[in-house]
Amino acid sequence: METAQEVELVVTAEARPLGLARWRKTGARPYLLLAPSLFFLLLFTYLPIARVIRDSLYLQHLGDQAGRFVGLANYARLFADEKFRTALLNNLAYGAGTLLPTIVLAIAFAVLLQRSTRLNAVIRACLFFPTVVPLTAAAGLWIFIFLPNGGLIDYYLGPLGLRSINWLGNPDLALAALSILTVWKNAGYYMLFYLAGLQAIPGEALEAALLDGANGWQRFWHVTLPLLRPTTAFVVAIALVNVVTNVDHVIVMTHGGPNNATNLLLYYIFQTQTEFHDPGKATAATVVSLAALLAISFFGLRALERGIRHEG
Amino acid sequence: MAGVGFVWSTPFLWMIVAALRPEGYGPAELASLAPDFVPTLENFRLAWESADFLVNYANTLIVVCGILGVQLVTVTLAGYAFARLEFRFKEALFYLFLLQLMLVPPILIIPNLTTAVRLGIYDTLIGVMAPYMASAFGTFLMRQAFRAVPRDFEDAAVIDGCSFLALLRHVMLPLVRPTLVAFAIVSVVAHWNELLWPLMVVNSPKRQTLVVGLASFTQASEGAAEWGLIAAGTLLVTLPLILAFIAFQRQFVNSFMFSGLK
Amino acid sequence: MISKGDQTMTMRHLIPAGRAKAFSLALALAAALLSAPGKAATTSLDFYFPTPVQGPLARELTRIVKEFNEKNADIDVVAVYTGSYDDTRVKAQAAIAAGKPPGVALMSANFVLEFVLNRQIEPIEDYLVENKVDPKSFLDDFWPAVRPNATIDGKIYAIPYQNSTPLLYINADHFREAGLDPAQPPKTWADLVSYAEKLTKREGDQVVRWGLTMPSAYDYCGWLIQSFTMANGGLFYNPSYGGEVYYDQPSTLGALQLWKDLAFKYKVMPQGVIDPNQVSADFFAGKASMVVLSTGSLSFIRNGAKFPYRVGFMPRNVRNAVPIGGGSLIAFAGLTPEQRKAAWRFMSYMTSAEQLGYWSRFTGYFSPRKSSYDLPEMKEFIAQHPDALTALEQLEYAGPWLAVYDTVAVRKAMEDQVQAVLSGKKEPGQAVKDAQKAADEIMRPLTEKITGGVGP
Repeated sequence: METAQEVELVVTAEARPLGLARWRKTGARPYLLLAPSLFFLLLFTYLPIARVIRDSLYLQHLGDQAGRFVGLANYARLFADEKFRTALLNNLAYGAGTLLPTIVLAIAFAVLLQRSTRLNAVIRACLFFPTVVPLTAAAGLWIFIFLPNGGLIDYYLGPLGLRSINWLGNPDLALAALSILTVWKNAGYYMLFYLAGLQAIPGEALEAALLDGANGWQRFWHVTLPLLRPTTAFVVAIALVNVVTNVDHVIVMTHGGPNNATNLLLYYIFQTQTEFHDPGKATAATVVSLAALLAISFFGLRALERGIRHEG
Repeated sequence: MAGVGFVWSTPFLWMIVAALRPEGYGPAELASLAPDFVPTLENFRLAWESADFLVNYANTLIVVCGILGVQLVTVTLAGYAFARLEFRFKEALFYLFLLQLMLVPPILIIPNLTTAVRLGIYDTLIGVMAPYMASAFGTFLMRQAFRAVPRDFEDAAVIDGCSFLALLRHVMLPLVRPTLVAFAIVSVVAHWNELLWPLMVVNSPKRQTLVVGLASFTQASEGAAEWGLIAAGTLLVTLPLILAFIAFQRQFVNSFMFSGLK
Repeated sequence: MISKGDQTMTMRHLIPAGRAKAFSLALALAAALLSAPGKAATTSLDFYFPTPVQGPLARELTRIVKEFNEKNADIDVVAVYTGSYDDTRVKAQAAIAAGKPPGVALMSANFVLEFVLNRQIEPIEDYLVENKVDPKSFLDDFWPAVRPNATIDGKIYAIPYQNSTPLLYINADHFREAGLDPAQPPKTWADLVSYAEKLTKREGDQVVRWGLTMPSAYDYCGWLIQSFTMANGGLFYNPSYGGEVYYDQPSTLGALQLWKDLAFKYKVMPQGVIDPNQVSADFFAGKASMVVLSTGSLSFIRNGAKFPYRVGFMPRNVRNAVPIGGGSLIAFAGLTPEQRKAAWRFMSYMTSAEQLGYWSRFTGYFSPRKSSYDLPEMKEFIAQHPDALTALEQLEYAGPWLAVYDTVAVRKAMEDQVQAVLSGKKEPGQAVKDAQKAADEIMRPLTEKITGGVGP
């Protein structure tokens, strides 16, 4: 906090009209502008990452908290761990199973609700509501919704044959059930960004297409969708982060079960660290996932950047 | 669309009905959405008593606004630097920032707790906020937004003798307002809903956030879930944000109009 | 009354707003003035507690702590609700790792061992000796079944607070309807199967009422497989050494086979993994005629069941036997002398015969102290609630709960396999072998010390 103030002071003192070239190149200014961010990043990102990397080279277990240096042995144990592979695959399946449906629904919602009528405003609010329910609370609600014999799904969809389905207790369905919850929770959220994206599409583009005799679907597919690319890139970026960083529902609903069918990467790390007293393996898993995530975000952001530049 | 909206909000409707349903209704009717009973506020009373809601609301507001306030400063400054200024190690620093993007405190709970204790901010609201005060995501968004501002605007202001901070405040910020709003929504939603880090870093009930207080309703291991109470508690937590959304819906959407992210 | 302890807190945890700062300074100042002459400083103590049953229990425990604070002006126990048993353990360990251990915690009885292994808690025995309480006579007042989980290597490390065993709950109406006598719940596994078959109701291939349901989600799953193993004559784990489990022994295999058969062969129980909340909901809705749940759910069932219900012992195959469950109070290492004094007063208050009796009546947990049951109010309560008596009588057959090196990991090694079997993905024979192998691997750091470095 103090650093932030200092920076502002320095900047103000120095802020005098300067030549344009010098304006953009003044030695310390860029670093001063970055300093407040770097201060927090240092404390809560770089320091802990350094510590995680160090810990991943030590073997610690119950009753032996000092640990001993083992080199890359923790990484070897990690890759040999079947549960880690399960968690990785689960996360991929969960990502694939939530990303596409959520985004398709979000676009559909936005397109169908873009006109600002009173009814649409109400429906938008209905769709947006899951966003503001904390994931833990949503998970608590959905335990009841998924409850076989007498839960909400059973009660109303029972006549359609969806009776007595053990959604969360069947390893083949549990991950799908969590995905349904995720889609429900996020579709309205992403819709918001698409609503904004739609507003920015110039009317002439659509009129031109209309004059060319394009039907509604063609106009959507050839005009609207391409123009929404920057929004999509933005939404994909948030959605990716959500896929990896949200595990509250796993903690509340399944604890990774049944038989690890819903164990996701972050939950695996959390569990290995706190339940299994194996910080060596947990930190190794953290480093591996960090590297993977960095790669994903690198490519993701490149795509996002291109998307925006394409537009601009 | 109205049908979809209805399906989407059935959990919400059920929550309201279940929260108002008096105790003692058989579980066979528990799933019913029809309000076939005399409503009672008993569940709300119990939920209200179970946690110190007013304090929790206040704490959550402080945390969410505090984080956003600091983020807006850090993110604007850093975003501008990456968008407009030339300096050594720019590329490297940028990727160093991105490192944080996917990094969530849950992964780093133990080292971050140690840091919080050393800084003397363990069990404080500052401790809840501190890890989020810099944001790679926000920095990235602002960088994109600043890049989209035509250089001429800026040059004209500089030639007019505008000071740096004045330039930022009066010329640049109004132009990137939509991006700031988009980022603010993402930030508020994320931190309003966060559970794990606040649960770990805060001890005193006086400093608990809403979601941590709510956790007392959503967890049961001996098979004794009181659905009405869960529903009432959840409603109490979510209501402020829902009302805010309904009130500001139009502004939210409109503010994206000229956004760089479109 | 704001005391010295609070002042430092208010000063340290400044809220950002300037007005709040001024306000808290004024408060602190006023407090200093008010409490200045001859008033002893208050000792503050964090008390972490989980609520395995939600809502009302958390409220009641908070009230009890408040009452204690009112009676002891010089102590300020801060009751910190910490979620489930698991969350409480995680939070306590995170706090210790960060250098800010809590004072006292209500911890799952089988997590005590790991805190001892890491030297993070102080023996209760030290407290007893200091306060001139004879450890042997202290322990003698607790039921034999709860002693092993509180004692490690012959030393007392925890004070049992709320304890439970698995219990069979039956719907009396369904029993009569099926021509069974509700006063006679099934006593043996054979009874259990045949009763469940009679109670199960089918319409076509759709089951509309299950004969039996029991939870198999993590945590409950390990507890119940241990219970069935014990009833099958087995041991499940070695209570005198934390490095051995008997997952691949015939008694465990037989237990798992029974569980599987109930779902797949006799089809009297739903297949797949079942959440405890589903079990209670099914029982209340009349969709399950018999359920297995903790005695800790007794009050919840009593208040929620809209039909006559009865309880019975867990059925036996070889012998009557159940594991205990529940939580104990532990005191963390690193307390100041004042905090230790406060911790002892708080713990002895909470675990007095009267308090434990009260908590037992409120929750359905049994009181770990025998003398609670000599109190008149307790005798009256038992006379009114015969179900509580059954739960108490089963205690005679109770044994300790799985507590080994890295208990949760070892427990999950078994649970994953049980869940695979219940989902029809694995045969019990293979499952118990895989569970044993995984558990041995987890406990290796401990077992290597007694095998001279050779793995199992």
